[in-house]
Amino acid sequence: MTSGLLLLIAFLVLAAGIGIAFRLPAIWLALTVTGAGLFLLAALRVLLGGDIWEWHSAFLIGGEPLHLRLDGLSAWFLIVVSVVGGAGAVYSREYWSDENNPASAPQGRAWWSAFLISMGLVLTVSNGLHFLIAWELFAVCGYFLITLDRERSGVRAAGWLYLAASHAGTMCLFAFFALLAAHTGSWELGPVRDHPEIAPLFWLALCGFGVKAGFFPLHIWLPSAHANAPSHVSAIMSGVAIKMGIYGIIRFSGWLPVPPAAGWVVTGIGATSALLGIAFAFAQNDFKRLLAYCSVENIGVILIGVGIALLAVTHGDAPWGRLALAGALLHVWNHGAFKSLLFFGAGSVLHATGTREMSRLGGLSRTMPWTAGLFALAAIAVAGLPPLNGFVSEWLVYLGLFDVVTGRGAAAWIAMPAVILLVVAGALALASFAKAGAMIFLGASRTRPAAKAHECGRWMRGPMLALAAVCVMIGLAPILIWPALSCAVAAWRPVWLAVEPPAPLVTLGSVQIALASLVLLAAVWLWWKAHDNGLRRGLTWDCAYALPTARMQYTSASFAGIGTGWFRWVLQPVRKAHRPRGHFPAAALRLERIPETVLERLLGPVSLVILQAAAGARRLQHGRLQFYILYVVVGLIGVGILVLWGGAQ
Amino acid sequence: MIFIPELLLRLALWLLLAPLLPGIINKVKAWVAGRRGPPVLQLYYDLAKLWRKGVVMSQLASPGFIIGPAVAWTALLGAALLMPLGPAGGAVSFHGDVLLLIYLLALARFCTAWAAMETGSAFEGMGSAREVSYAVLAEAAIIAAVLSLIVHTGSVSLDTMLSPSAGAGAALLAAGLFLVLLAENCRVPFDDPNTHLELTMIHEAMILDHSGPPLAAILHGASLKLLLFSVLLVQAVLPVGELSPFASAGALAAGVLAVTVGVGLVESLLARLAFKRVPLLLITAFLLCLFALLVAWKGGAQ
Repeated sequence: MTSGLLLLIAFLVLAAGIGIAFRLPAIWLALTVTGAGLFLLAALRVLLGGDIWEWHSAFLIGGEPLHLRLDGLSAWFLIVVSVVGGAGAVYSREYWSDENNPASAPQGRAWWSAFLISMGLVLTVSNGLHFLIAWELFAVCGYFLITLDRERSGVRAAGWLYLAASHAGTMCLFAFFALLAAHTGSWELGPVRDHPEIAPLFWLALCGFGVKAGFFPLHIWLPSAHANAPSHVSAIMSGVAIKMGIYGIIRFSGWLPVPPAAGWVVTGIGATSALLGIAFAFAQNDFKRLLAYCSVENIGVILIGVGIALLAVTHGDAPWGRLALAGALLHVWNHGAFKSLLFFGAGSVLHATGTREMSRLGGLSRTMPWTAGLFALAAIAVAGLPPLNGFVSEWLVYLGLFDVVTGRGAAAWIAMPAVILLVVAGALALASFAKAGAMIFLGASRTRPAAKAHECGRWMRGPMLALAAVCVMIGLAPILIWPALSCAVAAWRPVWLAVEPPAPLVTLGSVQIALASLVLLAAVWLWWKAHDNGLRRGLTWDCAYALPTARMQYTSASFAGIGTGWFRWVLQPVRKAHRPRGHFPAAALRLERIPETVLERLLGPVSLVILQAAAGARRLQHGRLQFYILYVVVGLIGVGILVLWGGAQ
Repeated sequence: MIFIPELLLRLALWLLLAPLLPGIINKVKAWVAGRRGPPVLQLYYDLAKLWRKGVVMSQLASPGFIIGPAVAWTALLGAALLMPLGPAGGAVSFHGDVLLLIYLLALARFCTAWAAMETGSAFEGMGSAREVSYAVLAEAAIIAAVLSLIVHTGSVSLDTMLSPSAGAGAALLAAGLFLVLLAENCRVPFDDPNTHLELTMIHEAMILDHSGPPLAAILHGASLKLLLFSVLLVQAVLPVGELSPFASAGALAAGVLAVTVGVGLVESLLARLAFKRVPLLLITAFLLCLFALLVAWKGGAQ
């Protein structure tokens, strides 16, 4: 079977899933997993076979012939869609079950299938008009998935924000594709290199796709949408949907000429996103918001790689571009895997305790050992620590950056700050996830629901284990995926094809394996030794205080206090405090909230001014007929004067 | 297979020599204060004793409490094996290994902080929060130092990066890296390893609840880290890799000894800083390394 046939069957199977989502959940699950599997097979055939699948049909949509294409780059992204799409479908069976959500669960299934289809279409259609249609479908499906639980006002607000931001981005894309079609004379998409005058269109694409990718400062919709959506939806939004924005940026920067400043700007945006995204994440007290802001950081890491690749193109195809782009693309996979795993873990905590507030949790590792262990694994991966997958992709991006520095060209002046910011962001990511893991899973339970938490069932645990296996596999055997990665890189720039994996990657793979085995060995040895010597349980040594309570523990805000202080200029925390006063103090209080600075401090006031201006203009419309007649008369006189004056000339 | 005996020798060197450093520092401090002080080999005795002792584990702790120190110790040992030793180089050397070294140190930090948070003690929370936060600045300083070496030598592999001297920026780099060494190893003026007030500690506050073999792993890991940073500092500044084997071994040993004595003298002569000053000192370290980077950039342009 050709990959095209597999792909078409996958679309049909998923479409059939929409039809039966309301009646037969078990068969829907089977169809969705099958569809995702077929996506995977089709993409693997393209990536490993190296051939591009194209299909020109005479069938017209909107007056344009249908044209589908699956090449290395779109296949690379299709794999993320299939893996997270399949895992999320299985996860939702228990997490968003019919018993708990009789109204929204069937809708959720239908929209899930539609979401996968629309993302598949975004990745395969090769016509500007059809791309816009698929893109709009994708945005709308996302909206309905985010607002599954629309009884809650927070969810509705997050949904509206998402929809509004999404359409602001789509507006840029409308302009982009329309201008592109006007310049090239056709809606067909494909490599266009002989029109240097269309290079400035790149900025439109960057804005349009950037809103979806959620880099700083276009990320405004992302935290609330990811936090308020059901967790399997957050997983696919964060792991896959925002990558469609990245896909757009990579795709069209590869096909179309880009302005010379593009590499500099994209690298700069990436470094800024990485640092500020993780600074916001560190300050959050809601664990799903923390994960959402961490996505902004990871998008930043990916964009640094893309920016360096763009720089390499203008520097005579320097070899460091390939490394950086390979790192960026691998990070797309890796972030898809570990961020979905983290959101699944977050969902299982939310399912068991009903709160997203870290300072109301604690001690869950005793009742939820699987979730705790898998969350810890994903935390190590997301912090980019060896021997897991996050390190491999960040390392490739770093290698690209280091090679820019040793080349000592002008590009080093953006690479050196990027390296420093990336390292600082990495250290903050470590701090954020040490905080999240510790507040949720370690220590004493801070509230009753946390103490009564229960482990998730096997339908939720299975997908989490599968994603964890992906994280470990990519971490330990990066060479295995090199052929596919190389094919994706070559799809972006054919001259960068490299069949052999770079030598350092081979060494790194074996070092990672050795490290992982040593870690296992040492852990088992120390565990055995401690038990052999005699292990006694006792009270926590709280400076000899004999009655420690759960409320004495460090909280999420206190853990992040030092780091938040450094970023107060951008975080702008809102504080409310009643200090205890007098000899017999009454109740004291201290509240702290981290606003979404760009939204609340920048866009909010600006929109308010626009609204006020609009309200002023509205005063003209009051329902009094005499005045309307006056408007008409004044208008006619004005037109008359214009005509007379014009005629006089 | 010449690789195995060499690896064993290397392991023995790192594992056996590391606990000597804290002993030397304590001896220097005692000497400056006019005391006799504990024997130089005191840490060896402590480790042997701890290894035989039982473990008391908090009722709140899960297996991560013991696995954390094991992973941290392994990560530090891995980092030590990557570190080149003069002309002999590292056990493994490849393009970009310097980043693995930095991230292995980060892995050790993550696992120590995780194990500390297992106990639910406010003091350990305090220690972990300080450790992971101050490390952000320390890592910025380290990467600036690494970048300056990369620019100076045009190489991204530790072997070739560390073998020549740091050139014109050597003094800046040495000062910056020495400050980072003090911060990362929890020495005065950043942290006081001997204090008895948990409120003022960083690293020691994180390990209050540990005992027996896990504590031994933590203490040994800390001494490995100190040796690692001393070796890094000496090799970054001196052209150890370009000397003959005997001369380089001598230079390395003398350099590490000098750094250790320096740490002891700093501890004897300075008081611990107030916590709000710690970031200032770390930013100073970062700026020193940044200036070293600029010097290296200008120096290579001739």
